[in-house]
Amino acid sequence: MLSYVPGDSLAHRLDPRTKLFVQVAFVLAAFAHTTVPGLAVLTVVALGCLALAGGSVRRTLWSYRYFLPFLLAGPLLEALTWGVPWVVLGDAVDPLLASYRVLLVFLVSGAYVRSTPVRDSRAAIQRLVPGKPGRLLGVGLSLVFRFLPVLKRDLFASRDAMRARLGEERPVHERMRIVATAGLNRAFGRADRLSVALRARCFAWNPTLPDLRFSRADAPAGTVGLLLVVWALV
Amino acid sequence: MTIETTGLVYRYGAGEAEATALDGVDLALADGEFVVVAGANGSGKTTLVRQFNGLLSPDEGEVRVDGVPVSEDPVAARTRVGMVFQDPRDAFVAATVGADVAFGPENLGLSRSDIDRRVEAALDAVNMGGREDERLDALSGGEQERVAIAGALAMEPAHLVLDEPFTGLDEPARRSVLGRLRALHRDGTGVVVVTHDLRDVFPLADRVVALADGRVAVDAPPGEAVEALAALDVRVPDRVERDVTDVATATPDSDPC
Amino acid sequence: MATSTDSVELVGDEVTRNLARAALFAALMGAFAYVSFPNPLSPGIPVTLQVLGVFLAGIFLGPIWGGFAMVLYLLAGALGLPVFSGGSAGFGALVSQTGGYLVSYPFAAAVVGLGVHGVGDLADPRLVSVGRLVAAMVAGTVVIYTLGILGFWYVGDVGIVTAVVGAAVAFVPVEALKIAAAVGIVRSEAVAAR
Repeated sequence: MLSYVPGDSLAHRLDPRTKLFVQVAFVLAAFAHTTVPGLAVLTVVALGCLALAGGSVRRTLWSYRYFLPFLLAGPLLEALTWGVPWVVLGDAVDPLLASYRVLLVFLVSGAYVRSTPVRDSRAAIQRLVPGKPGRLLGVGLSLVFRFLPVLKRDLFASRDAMRARLGEERPVHERMRIVATAGLNRAFGRADRLSVALRARCFAWNPTLPDLRFSRADAPAGTVGLLLVVWALV
Repeated sequence: MTIETTGLVYRYGAGEAEATALDGVDLALADGEFVVVAGANGSGKTTLVRQFNGLLSPDEGEVRVDGVPVSEDPVAARTRVGMVFQDPRDAFVAATVGADVAFGPENLGLSRSDIDRRVEAALDAVNMGGREDERLDALSGGEQERVAIAGALAMEPAHLVLDEPFTGLDEPARRSVLGRLRALHRDGTGVVVVTHDLRDVFPLADRVVALADGRVAVDAPPGEAVEALAALDVRVPDRVERDVTDVATATPDSDPC
Repeated sequence: MATSTDSVELVGDEVTRNLARAALFAALMGAFAYVSFPNPLSPGIPVTLQVLGVFLAGIFLGPIWGGFAMVLYLLAGALGLPVFSGGSAGFGALVSQTGGYLVSYPFAAAVVGLGVHGVGDLADPRLVSVGRLVAAMVAGTVVIYTLGILGFWYVGDVGIVTAVVGAAVAFVPVEALKIAAAVGIVRSEAVAAR
């Protein structure tokens, strides 16, 4: 599974804001230059990003395997034609390039995920989004990161309990209802206890912001991002 | 520095379902006191302590912390009175130990160096020093309880209120939490433990306050409170003297955490 | 040590509670990605509870906080929490062929929330008629599929017919199951709405 891996690669040392910027810049460039030469350049950039984060192409793409059928579906369906000659390969070229650019974006976002701890991502959001929305997003993200494993356990427990009581014989929407109801009740019960704890710890609109500092390594990375944006616009 | 309640009345529900949880509670807790708030389930213990830092507001009466009404300055009350909730797993706000403990001081807008110092001191105080980067999810129940205590201590409170801190903990974990409470008390922090089972904290307490039907039914040093407590369905140690010596010899050097 | 308390601006009780509920809902949405059910119509493609989560966000949190919960879910996933299909994560998921579906979630939750509660204070969902619940969820489903198909059309650089065929037809019938499940959840009276 794709996730943060502690390390000391160049990508790990970059400020998360720089990495977010490069990602967005890459997407802009990829959508602006979905041509063979454009994608050739971007392939080099994407592989470079992944290498700097110490990630592997195979494992990154494997983590996106659920998305890959849709990447194939576009070119395949476009190539089909209603009537003779049934298949027109030329029609598949543009969708194929479009799918390939998404593949490259997967590699770049894989590099981000691998090299950025969630704490840094959260800090970046809280610094990038000003005021109250930034505060709500920052704390909200922190809570989502904290409670995902807890709620996953809750859901598995209620699914197992349902199975144990011969729930497999019920219709699917009934089973969905039972598992989702249990999950929802647990989640809301926890949320209500959590909100009391937040108040007890002076949950405030104007806290000390998380520490983030640009380093010298951010300058070249930021330049690459800037070049991508400029290229996307011309 | 004290927590003072005068004529505290608190009702919940409305109309037919309305019930009185607190029915005229007058109480003063001195700085540095180790107080046990006891009582059967539903006697209003949790409701009472949640007035101390303004998590609940009384329908009648008033709470003052260091002479200042809680309703006027909830931030002061919440920094002076730290609170540890019954199920600490639902009270954590971050995935890792250090980030969670830092949450309170960050809200106070302290400088980053002050925050780091407080987080370090709070984790040291619960024997969790150097474990900032560990995931809360991976900790044992007793360790989670201690991190929850550290989260409250990072506010540098004068009083630490713990709601049923021993529920669900095994014996070694209870011992380690108890050892930490004893050390905190020794260093001058007021400790308030809410519980329906006095056996763990009995030897440490300066004073036992028991609630029944929303009123203070008992307010006495533990030795004098035993019989009255038993009548209120509160579990007390079978043999008081034995437990006292147990805990006295168990701390602080042989603190098992 | 004395701490100045004047400068601390506490977040209000109501906002705190709504934030906690929205954040835990977003986490639940992520957990839903890990529980799949057999698809009675096409056994090869399992059904997850995710779209059901979009409906429930609108129903139980209302248009604003329901939408906010979905924003948190997408943001958490984009930033690396494994909450997208098959436990994947990353910004790439949002700009892929199926990204339109994901991006639609906040809007769909808001539409469902508006349909169920209208504007202003939230209603008790148990008191909302089944017709209104179903209509709100159908509207939400329309939003999801509209943005989903547009996303496939734009990102995949394909014709609109291909986008509809490739992205939508395979999935639409199971949404009916999820609507039925959502009505069941609201009617079961087992969930504390407010």
